[in-house]
Amino acid sequence: MSSSNHELSTLTGAYALDALDEAEHAAFEAHLATCADCAAEVRSLRAAAAELSRTSAAAPPEQLRGDMLGTIGSIRPLPPSADNLVSLRAHAARRWRWQSVAAACVLLAAAAGVWGYQQHQDANRSHTRTAAITNVLDSRDAASVTGAVATGHARIVYSKAAHRLVLIGQNIPEPARDKTYQLWMIDPAGHATSGGVFTPDSSGNVLVLASGDLTDVTRMGISIEPAGGSRQPTPGAIIAEMPI
Amino acid sequence: MDNVRFLRTSSGGEPFDDLVAQLPKLLAGSARGDQRAFAKLYDLTSARVYGMVLRVVRDRAQAAEVTQDVYLQVWREAARFDPDVGTAVAWLLMIAHRRAVDRVRAAQSATRREDRYATTQTERPYDQVAEAAQANLDAQRVRRALDDLTTVQRDALQLAYFGGYTHREVADLLHIPMGTAKTRIRDGLIRLRDSLGVNGEQQQS
Repeated sequence: MSSSNHELSTLTGAYALDALDEAEHAAFEAHLATCADCAAEVRSLRAAAAELSRTSAAAPPEQLRGDMLGTIGSIRPLPPSADNLVSLRAHAARRWRWQSVAAACVLLAAAAGVWGYQQHQDANRSHTRTAAITNVLDSRDAASVTGAVATGHARIVYSKAAHRLVLIGQNIPEPARDKTYQLWMIDPAGHATSGGVFTPDSSGNVLVLASGDLTDVTRMGISIEPAGGSRQPTPGAIIAEMPI
Repeated sequence: MDNVRFLRTSSGGEPFDDLVAQLPKLLAGSARGDQRAFAKLYDLTSARVYGMVLRVVRDRAQAAEVTQDVYLQVWREAARFDPDVGTAVAWLLMIAHRRAVDRVRAAQSATRREDRYATTQTERPYDQVAEAAQANLDAQRVRRALDDLTTVQRDALQLAYFGGYTHREVADLLHIPMGTAKTRIRDGLIRLRDSLGVNGEQQQS
């Protein structure tokens, strides 16, 4: 573990309390995706943090309950995002682990990137982007590919050695209602493995970090799929392909 | 000194933590659209969620708004709760804390928060004596564990969790060197975790 990694490892407590600023948050989450010890520590410290709420319990306003129960009937619960966690075909033991680097997204990011995928909702801050790239992809073999995605474009910076990638999208149009973008890892035989779904923020930005084994991947593809994603790309739905 | 009150109106006699252990099941039910499961989940947890949010945002109207957002998110994303990454309670409170902190930081960047002190008392009578007692015991247990921390650890934890401050701001507020607050926070949380015997695995508590 390098000294900067050691430095990051001391942020577990502040992370568990949401006490990191955005740049640190991004750097730490990138680190977390690769550090099982940190992930375990974060999990246990979150449990400890949750205990603090026992000291502040207070009854919410009475009408909140009714309001809420009246509202949820019109909200459809999302399906599980387990599709985003499928193992790469050739490496059944490894899983893609998606990590948002967005402070705004930590809600979903939960611990250690096991939440499947994350979309980045605030990628237009250059320091966040820079931190994501410099902290995650400082590997010597880092390379990048770009491709047009509808009216926008996406760049994927990846390292086969480090098993990591960052997807950065700009001007990506909002997918149609009930649709989502989905990233695919494609091997030479054309087999596609889901790398997770994502949607751009309101400014069309996307920033997703992922870790996983890229050894057999020769192309990455982006398709538009029904909300929640698909197991395999819908025929004809791939709108961008990038050879790596 | 406790203002602990729970919303539950049922007369179930189960200890709070047994109910907390049911959360994964209630989340699973919610994910399938079971509104009764969700209502129960709300009843079991809303006092902790709302109370914490209120401490952070210090304003009842805003706390109610944030709490509502939290539960709507939970309803939408219940299927995405993954027991491998921690307990359901920790997941729920993490969502709530993050939203509360986002709210105060957004407000902070616009205008400094008014320093209204959080009067967390609500006027509603508390009719579930056994639960209130249990909740009190649980709160006392956590308070005792907090008392065992060093003053700096405790202050740092409270400022970060209930104050919504970053570790750098905590360092400033406590007049300790930059870089010290994060280690105090970590050390304090580790001690708290160990003395409360929580580890983030399911079936703890």
